[in-house]
Amino acid sequence: MAVDRRASRLGVLAILGVVLFSLLGARLWFLQTVKADELQQSVTISRTRSVRLAPERGRIFDVKGRILADNERILTVAVDWQMLRRKSQRDEIFTRLSGWVQVPVEAMHERFDRQIDSPFLPFPIKQDIDEPTAIAILERVEDFPGVEIVVEWRRIYPYAPHASHVIGYMGAITAEQLDTRLEAGYLRNERVGQFGVERSMEAELHGVWGEKVIEVDAANRPVRVISEVLPINGRDVQLTIDLEVQQYTEQAVETTLELRRTQTGPNPIVKKPDGTRERMDLTKGESVFFKAPAGSTVVLNYLTGEVIAMASYPTFDNRWFEAGLSSNKFKQIFPVTEDPDKSILVNRAIQGRYNMGSTFKPFTAFAALNTGLITSSEIFTDVGSYQLYSVDQTKCRSGLVRCVYKNATCGGTGLPCVYGDVILEEALAVSSDAFFYRIGEDILERNGGLPILQEQVKLFGFGADSGIELPFEFDGTVPDRELKRIYAERGVISADEGKGYFVGDNVQLAIGQGLLSATPLHLANGYATIANRGFLLQPTIVRAIWNPGVPDGKPGFADLEQGTIYEDLSEPTLIHQISMPDDIRDPILHGLQRVIYGPGVVSDYPHKTTGEHLFLNYPRGEEAIPLAGKTGTAQGAYNYPWNDSSVFTGFSTDDTRPYVVTAYLEKAGYGSQAAAPVVKCTFLALSGIAPMDPVELSEPLDLAATVSAPSLELDLATRQYCYQSKFGDGVQTQVREVE
Amino acid sequence: MAMTFLSRRPDSGLGNIGSSPGDPSRNVDWVLLVTQGLLTVIGCFVVYSASWTTIPGDPYSFVTRQVVFAIAGGVVMVTIMSIDYEWFKERAAFLYGTTIMLLVLLLLMGVAQNLDRITFDLGPINFQPAEMAKFTTLIALSVFLAEGRSDEVSYPRFLVGLILVGAPAALIIAQPDLGSASVIVTIAMGVLLVAGAKPRYIGAITMLAVSTVAATFVSGFVNNYQKERLRVFVGQEANEDSVYQVRNAIRAVGTGGVWGVGWLDGPLTNGRYVPVMWADFPFAAVGEQFGLVGCSLLLGLFVVALMRIWRIATLSRDLLGTYLCAGVFTMLLWQVFQNVGMTLGIMPVTGLPLPFISYGGSSLLTYFAMFGLVQSVHMRRMR
Repeated sequence: MAVDRRASRLGVLAILGVVLFSLLGARLWFLQTVKADELQQSVTISRTRSVRLAPERGRIFDVKGRILADNERILTVAVDWQMLRRKSQRDEIFTRLSGWVQVPVEAMHERFDRQIDSPFLPFPIKQDIDEPTAIAILERVEDFPGVEIVVEWRRIYPYAPHASHVIGYMGAITAEQLDTRLEAGYLRNERVGQFGVERSMEAELHGVWGEKVIEVDAANRPVRVISEVLPINGRDVQLTIDLEVQQYTEQAVETTLELRRTQTGPNPIVKKPDGTRERMDLTKGESVFFKAPAGSTVVLNYLTGEVIAMASYPTFDNRWFEAGLSSNKFKQIFPVTEDPDKSILVNRAIQGRYNMGSTFKPFTAFAALNTGLITSSEIFTDVGSYQLYSVDQTKCRSGLVRCVYKNATCGGTGLPCVYGDVILEEALAVSSDAFFYRIGEDILERNGGLPILQEQVKLFGFGADSGIELPFEFDGTVPDRELKRIYAERGVISADEGKGYFVGDNVQLAIGQGLLSATPLHLANGYATIANRGFLLQPTIVRAIWNPGVPDGKPGFADLEQGTIYEDLSEPTLIHQISMPDDIRDPILHGLQRVIYGPGVVSDYPHKTTGEHLFLNYPRGEEAIPLAGKTGTAQGAYNYPWNDSSVFTGFSTDDTRPYVVTAYLEKAGYGSQAAAPVVKCTFLALSGIAPMDPVELSEPLDLAATVSAPSLELDLATRQYCYQSKFGDGVQTQVREVE
Repeated sequence: MAMTFLSRRPDSGLGNIGSSPGDPSRNVDWVLLVTQGLLTVIGCFVVYSASWTTIPGDPYSFVTRQVVFAIAGGVVMVTIMSIDYEWFKERAAFLYGTTIMLLVLLLLMGVAQNLDRITFDLGPINFQPAEMAKFTTLIALSVFLAEGRSDEVSYPRFLVGLILVGAPAALIIAQPDLGSASVIVTIAMGVLLVAGAKPRYIGAITMLAVSTVAATFVSGFVNNYQKERLRVFVGQEANEDSVYQVRNAIRAVGTGGVWGVGWLDGPLTNGRYVPVMWADFPFAAVGEQFGLVGCSLLLGLFVVALMRIWRIATLSRDLLGTYLCAGVFTMLLWQVFQNVGMTLGIMPVTGLPLPFISYGGSSLLTYFAMFGLVQSVHMRRMR
């Protein structure tokens, strides 16, 4: 009947009810038992907010406490990520903030969408806002939910551009560094030291992030602090650099290069194999201007290994890296170039891969004396060229093997210099190539082809990492069979050349040419080892690590008196000691002293020593540091004179003023013409004779500038101390004659 | 028939002594009444626990209002209980007409003011005609179908019934208040099912409801915000806010585990991780604080209530009573399933409250009225 059908329809409703409630029950059971733990975990994460607390980066001081790298407190408007999760809220917050911070809403969205910012720090809206704006925003905090004013640090370089290559700069963590940095507790978008001391001392400078974990409610309002670990600020690094000397060497290098660009090298007439005579470079005239594009200098304390100054030109202002440049502007300031002459972000003093030219001869001399190959009084007759005796003369005549090595030409004559009977001391003084060619052949032949010369010069640190606390250092090469094989594999030299190590190679090595390569720092440190009687020290640029919190002193200075040292690194690090008895050292030293002070030798006519002319007006009295030194000229492309690079190293023979100064000026002519004046000038300044400009805090960075650094030339008054002698006057150390 | 406000006969003397076993006052379904009372009290506690941290310094703000509404609901319920539901038969047309008029008026006011209007603001009270419509439409439809005195709903009768339901539903959609409209449609489906509508009629009404929603959506009749809610309603697009709500609701329920974290100890509830939890997601608050046990008990109470209403539907003395109970049954079943299902992430997010538990006067009053109607059917089953 009717009632039955009604009941059956009601039954349908009941079944529906049973089904629906079963669904709910099953789901409830699943959520509250099976998934409970998983959900609990996700809740724990979403209920807490972890805020990283930035450590202040350690500062960098020069040896006198000048603050070379400092931090500036900047205020950043940032928004908590939680508040931005929802699109609608994000729009609202961005719109409200836009006018206050003068950032277009689209720019904020764009940055947000790129997801480049750390999730551990609030999302940055605008960096470096002024204090009134910050206060205004904080006063209206109810209108800006989740908006915070975050205190951040920005790196500043109060004395920029001085010592930029040494101090270095900061940059984003690169893809390769990312994993190790993250493991070390860095944040993904942090800026880290990428060059110079900023990079090498990153571990000390960086400090340790702190972290504050806060429990928050859904509106992201803090409920309570769960834990707080304060950041540990980075330690301050005191360098061995004296910024006054640093500035002076920078000025000297730049001034000299500028000057050399106004001067010319000869385009000599040479004899061709067919007997005709013509200019070396047919496209150029009688003389060619020097390009003098770049150079560097190192001032080292030979008793401690401390680097007092290290200049590299072209230089740059490291504040550009903190200026938030657009990539276009950055390319304008630091143009991408394949031309090594134009590279700016290279510290040539430790990264330059240079031939050393004749400045290498003292080490060959040491090898010869130390292995008993020659004695200091042994006479060698320099006839202007050297003929190999160990090579089959038929091979020599066939032209397959080069058997004759000539001296450099003597000024004006176009012919190789002839120095006549010379002993080692004199050979160094006038830079007789033939004398050292002979050593190169003898030391190989008489030792059965063993790499004795290599072993001996390596004692001075060549071909090895110097250990200085700077990144990207070039280790240098001392040529031997293995190096030639590697070079042949890489195609640097021909496969034929790479077959073995030949006597010709050793002859080239003996005068610092061929495949020998080293940095100016290597050279300076090698001379330091001679100067300090055999102690190969590790060159260092860090004097001490200071605990955080060294207070400021007078403007631009930290008050080191009030600080505490964390680690004193002033103790020299001895790599090894070379036995250097006086009977070995003295002939070398005397030769090097004669380079500066003369006299030269008389053979066909009187030959002055290579530095004699330039140093003629170098004071002989007490006040001036007594010197020894050596010129060098490393040949460049096609052996054109205007491609010669100029090298000079001088060192004090007075241990109370234990300085070694090396200068290397690329494509700037003979050693005595460009590098030697820089060294001379620097010693005059170190002696207190030439005035050094006081170091001043720099002007604000000119953001409209298009060059990487302003010019740092010496003033005219100071120049006279450096350049009083004529350039290009009979001082020649050209080593590979023209063929 | 009698205009009885009290269920005693005037001649039965003092007290209940002389009353017969069929006397309505002796036939209150106490199980249902107690269940309802428990649900209401639990609701007040849940509302408190879900809202006490919302307004700093005023933890009782929401629950106080809820208690006031519950008391008001009690008054409304007793009033309706005391009326024989037959009484509504003659007044169904009037009540229904009034409702439609109010809905039209509200809509016109909305158009005039260029606003979405759901309520009449009468001083401290917001009167929602849509709530009234649930009640009056149920009565109108039940009365109309009961008049047929048939086991089956004829096609013409079905069409008229459809119009009866469709008119208020359409007006409410236009407000727009899709939640209420869906409740009215659900009630209608329950009543029609029990009244013997052919399955294809039920199918037709379902189709109609869906296409109405679709048409509203496509026509751009509603503004963007409403569109978004519509999309969410049909599960087409996940609104970020509701996704956030649901995710945290699920977390809250899940972290409650078997036993719950305890009264007022729910960090997600206290931390307001589920926006407007007291109105939309009270079940999540129960889940977090009282766990599987508490949730089961609460659902159990709903089951008891549903069973009692179902029982009353079978006991009813006439078709009208059965239809009324069927409507209330479907409405309650649907709303519990929809709200709890949404909290547990198996149903889309809508604004439908959890009966008796969710904060909100309209819902509470409507349910008290509905349960009063059911009680009225039970009380008068003997005659």
